[in-house]
Amino acid sequence: MTSFFQNLGMNYEAAWFTATIAGILLIALPLMLAVALIIYAERKLWAAFALRRGPNVVGPFGILQSFADGLKVFLQETIIPSASNRGLFLIAPIITFTVALMAWAVIPFADGVVLSNINVGLLYILAISSLGVYGVVIAGWASNSKYPFYSAMRAAAQMISYEVSIGFILICVVLWAGTFNVGGIIEGQRSHVFGFINAYALNPLLFPIAVMFLISSMAETARAPFDLTEAESELVAGYQTEYSSMAFALFWLGEYANVLLMCALNAILFWGGYLPPVDWAPLYVVPGIIWFFAKILLMFFIFAWVKATVPRYRYDQLMRLGWKVFLPISLFWVFLVSGYLMFTGHFA
Amino acid sequence: MPKVTVDGLELEVPAGATVLQACEMAGKEIPRFCYHERLSIAGNCRMCLVEVAPGPPKPQASCALPATEGQIIRTDTPMVKNAREGVMEFLLINHPLDCPICDQGGECDLQDQSVAYGRGTSRFEENKRAVTEKYMGPLVKTAMTRCIQCTRCVRFAEEVAGIEEVGAIGRGENMQITTYLEHAMQSELSGNVVDLCPVGALTAKPYAFEARPWELKKTPSIDVMDAVGTNIRLDSRGRAVLRALPRINDDVNEEWASDKTRHAVDGLTHRRLDKPYIRKDGKLVPASWAEAFDAIKPHWTGKAAVVAGDQVDCETMFAARELAGVSMLEGRQTGLAYDTSSLSAVNFNTTIAGIENADVILLVGSDLRREAPLVNTRIQKAVRKRGAKVFAIGPVTDLTYKVEWLGDDLSALAKAPKALADALKAAERPAIIVGGGALRYEGLHGAALAFAKKYKLVRDGWNGFNILHFAAARMGGLMLGYAHEGGIKKLATAKAGLAFFLGADEVDYGLFADSFKVYVGHHGDNGAHHADVILPGAAYSEKSGTYVNLEGRVQRGERAVFPPGDAREDWAIFRALSDVLGQRLPFDSLDALRAEMAKAVPALGVEGLVDYGWSEPSLSADVSGKIADYPIKDFYLTNAICRASETMQKCSAELVHGTHFLEAAE
Amino acid sequence: MTTITHLIKTFTLWEFIKAHLLTLKYFFKRKATINYPFEKNPLSPRFRGEHALRRYPNGEERCIACKLCEAVCPALAITIESEPRDDGSRRTTRYDIDMTKCIYCGFCQEACPVDAIVEGPNLEFATETREELLYDKTKLLENGAKWERAIAANLAADAPYR
Repeated sequence: MTSFFQNLGMNYEAAWFTATIAGILLIALPLMLAVALIIYAERKLWAAFALRRGPNVVGPFGILQSFADGLKVFLQETIIPSASNRGLFLIAPIITFTVALMAWAVIPFADGVVLSNINVGLLYILAISSLGVYGVVIAGWASNSKYPFYSAMRAAAQMISYEVSIGFILICVVLWAGTFNVGGIIEGQRSHVFGFINAYALNPLLFPIAVMFLISSMAETARAPFDLTEAESELVAGYQTEYSSMAFALFWLGEYANVLLMCALNAILFWGGYLPPVDWAPLYVVPGIIWFFAKILLMFFIFAWVKATVPRYRYDQLMRLGWKVFLPISLFWVFLVSGYLMFTGHFA
Repeated sequence: MPKVTVDGLELEVPAGATVLQACEMAGKEIPRFCYHERLSIAGNCRMCLVEVAPGPPKPQASCALPATEGQIIRTDTPMVKNAREGVMEFLLINHPLDCPICDQGGECDLQDQSVAYGRGTSRFEENKRAVTEKYMGPLVKTAMTRCIQCTRCVRFAEEVAGIEEVGAIGRGENMQITTYLEHAMQSELSGNVVDLCPVGALTAKPYAFEARPWELKKTPSIDVMDAVGTNIRLDSRGRAVLRALPRINDDVNEEWASDKTRHAVDGLTHRRLDKPYIRKDGKLVPASWAEAFDAIKPHWTGKAAVVAGDQVDCETMFAARELAGVSMLEGRQTGLAYDTSSLSAVNFNTTIAGIENADVILLVGSDLRREAPLVNTRIQKAVRKRGAKVFAIGPVTDLTYKVEWLGDDLSALAKAPKALADALKAAERPAIIVGGGALRYEGLHGAALAFAKKYKLVRDGWNGFNILHFAAARMGGLMLGYAHEGGIKKLATAKAGLAFFLGADEVDYGLFADSFKVYVGHHGDNGAHHADVILPGAAYSEKSGTYVNLEGRVQRGERAVFPPGDAREDWAIFRALSDVLGQRLPFDSLDALRAEMAKAVPALGVEGLVDYGWSEPSLSADVSGKIADYPIKDFYLTNAICRASETMQKCSAELVHGTHFLEAAE
Repeated sequence: MTTITHLIKTFTLWEFIKAHLLTLKYFFKRKATINYPFEKNPLSPRFRGEHALRRYPNGEERCIACKLCEAVCPALAITIESEPRDDGSRRTTRYDIDMTKCIYCGFCQEACPVDAIVEGPNLEFATETREELLYDKTKLLENGAKWERAIAANLAADAPYR
């Protein structure tokens, strides 16, 4: 894209700058739209699982429901509790939202279509998603209210716990792919299983950690059944309790952007990203970005499906699962995978 | 003392008791409509049927059957149950099913008893009878279709009210209760038939469709319309008193109340003073409490004159006295100046209940029927039941019973006519009743005392000397020293710089032209018109107050509602004013005030009859002249509350001045 | 053996898979709900909805201010004031129902001796302000006029069971 702007007569620096800004906008704006629609889709899915109809009044099939909700939220009064820390209170949702968008910089939407093709892309994602917890913690703290504070504590503990096992899971993938570059990991999956399936997940050795990653990503985004940070029966609405209007909307948008990011990561790390499911020439007619989106949506369906099926965990169960099950297993798996790779001379 | 057995319970009943009374003593409830403790026995509703042995093998009306030795009475047999159900079914044959629009609904004997003793269904399929409405005056609303012909109202009119104007015409199903030629009941007790009526045939006209009994807050209170101190119950909803009903007190009002007591309550919401006023340039303008107090302050010299009105409670008078000092107090607004050195000499010593037992009564200048209707019913009872003889000095008036008029010349007191003298000599319990208003005649008080001495009206166990006051505040005022030597005219000559008027509306304000006049009261009546500053106070329904009735009975009423607008309880006004005047009164609550009052006048601290002890002041017995008239010209408009009441104005117009309001008969 | 089964079930997430298959089955089932504002369920004749004060066919209002509904109302939602009308009949001067207090128990219509106050079939009376839910006599009589046919039909349908 830089060359496109250079052709318009800009020097390299200006063209690079413009291209980057354009790239950010090109990703961020459709992402906003996607979040709106994904919320609608999720409500429809839950409704279907519960034999209900879901939103069906605003727009055709109720597709504009999210926009109506957004408009409502826009028109609300922004309430800042008098006892809150005003500056932090306002900055918290901005952090959550921004961080949720930042990770998308290294996600390749198709072969070579990536804002920033850096070598340590996966490390970058890990770092950014860890930062996301700051928004929640700050929100809980700044609200100066009991339940939000509890919620923030939970969120911090929960996300740190699961990032540990996620880290080991990613090491397995990175070991196999031999690169931290996200595009490289996707390319590593080409014809990976039986010589024609483009997915790490169907590698018998990697399948269990694919499942673990899926579960961990639910915990990482604080989705059901691990949504203890906003367990309404205990904490009202968790760290969002004191928020209203746009600040509330930013949390909401950030949360779903994060969910989409996790779906995308699942798709990228284990299901071949923008590659078609099998390495068969006619399938390449369909552009990579469509495959990628299809996989994201499938992942999202699984997220919604799980949320509609599994009841919320207790907090001690959540911690037990993270530290006593996922951590040892993933550690063991790092040992297993690296051992296998050493044994088969993969690193030769 | 016959012994009877009621449902297996053996008990002794007083001689002369009826079977019904015997059952009540045994704790059995006997349903009844026509039977009433204070009326004669009619035995025409048949609801009180019980089984009695020995006797005919049929249910018998227990109210009319004397209890005799060895009777076995059963109230719980199938026969009794059947009989009651049958009677109830008959009673309901012609009773309309219009309870929803009947004012008696919720406090109706027929409703209650048909639930308790009725069958629930009727086999009567023919048309019910309908009766045209009758006119019974401005206070009694009739719906005669509902009448079950118990004749309680007829008996009340004849036996208690003493008017023979209500009766039944026709026979059987066509029997109808009516007044004579459908005139209004000429009685100041007509409201009582509403309470007596066990159904909704007679209901209160001013209260028509106003409220249901269950939504009313009921507050025990004391009436201030006359000096009898009728025990009443104020029924209020929200901030308005909707009606006043008598409470039972056999020593005072039995269970009756005068029409004024009952129906003047609508005056409590009209013409009220609800904010302070100050006279500026000859005109009264609204002000705040602080402004009103500041306007009084320059006139304060450490003491003040206080004139108490007729309806003030003792607490108010005491608070005013504590602030203004005892030197210039007066309660006898109209200028009476009788001697008050002995309170027993200005008291109704025989007591209200006791006057029933008198056998010869001399009335001096007292129009009892207007001045104290419930004392009049006692004398009516004495005459009717015990054959008492009543003599009277004064202009002839209708007191509802036979009176021997001795002319209006007061010399009859000094030299009693032979009939009176003979009667008194033969009498065991003779009594004299001097009207409070008649005391204005110079020497009458002394002459009456001399008369009492001469004919030994005061003897062992009997005190026949009575002064009949008709202001509710009078005895309390006299106990608190509200009597200036020489009366109000003398008080006026003392030239008090500041004068308080506690709801005093009958005063000749010309006497106080030089004083700064502060009116503390509740109605915009005469007193308010002449005041320089008006401090809005509470009416009797709006404060807890102590009242002493004409026989010296200390009684307390409770607050039913709050005063309107900025008005406050009177004692609190004086307490607040005392702060501004720099002479803080030592009480911050009504209880503290009452404690102080009991310290000053111990008798006011105890409810019940005060014993003044009999002592005669030595007064000149010289009396001459004639009793020209009675003080109460218009029974229905004697005080500010009545004058503000539409109902009382209507009654006055119709019953006193003869304007005709016939409306019900169609 | 059971330990082994348990272990296998645990590590294959067997229960979770079963649960998800179950919910997936429901995912494709027919919807149990209706498309509410456009489709409506049938209502029982005894349905207790918005209140209405009825009139007689000749236009005379039925309510006679007996205050039984006020007395029976467990939520104290009804306020009545009454006085004789010019023709001497007993009528209300005020008949208020605080719909925010009302619990729709239907005691008022049970208590009414003249079928004046009824709970009609209307259940769609949401308002934008709280004040609009403080119904006065005018509003209730308007409701009566508006819903009279439905109310009369309901009363007739329920009459045999009363």
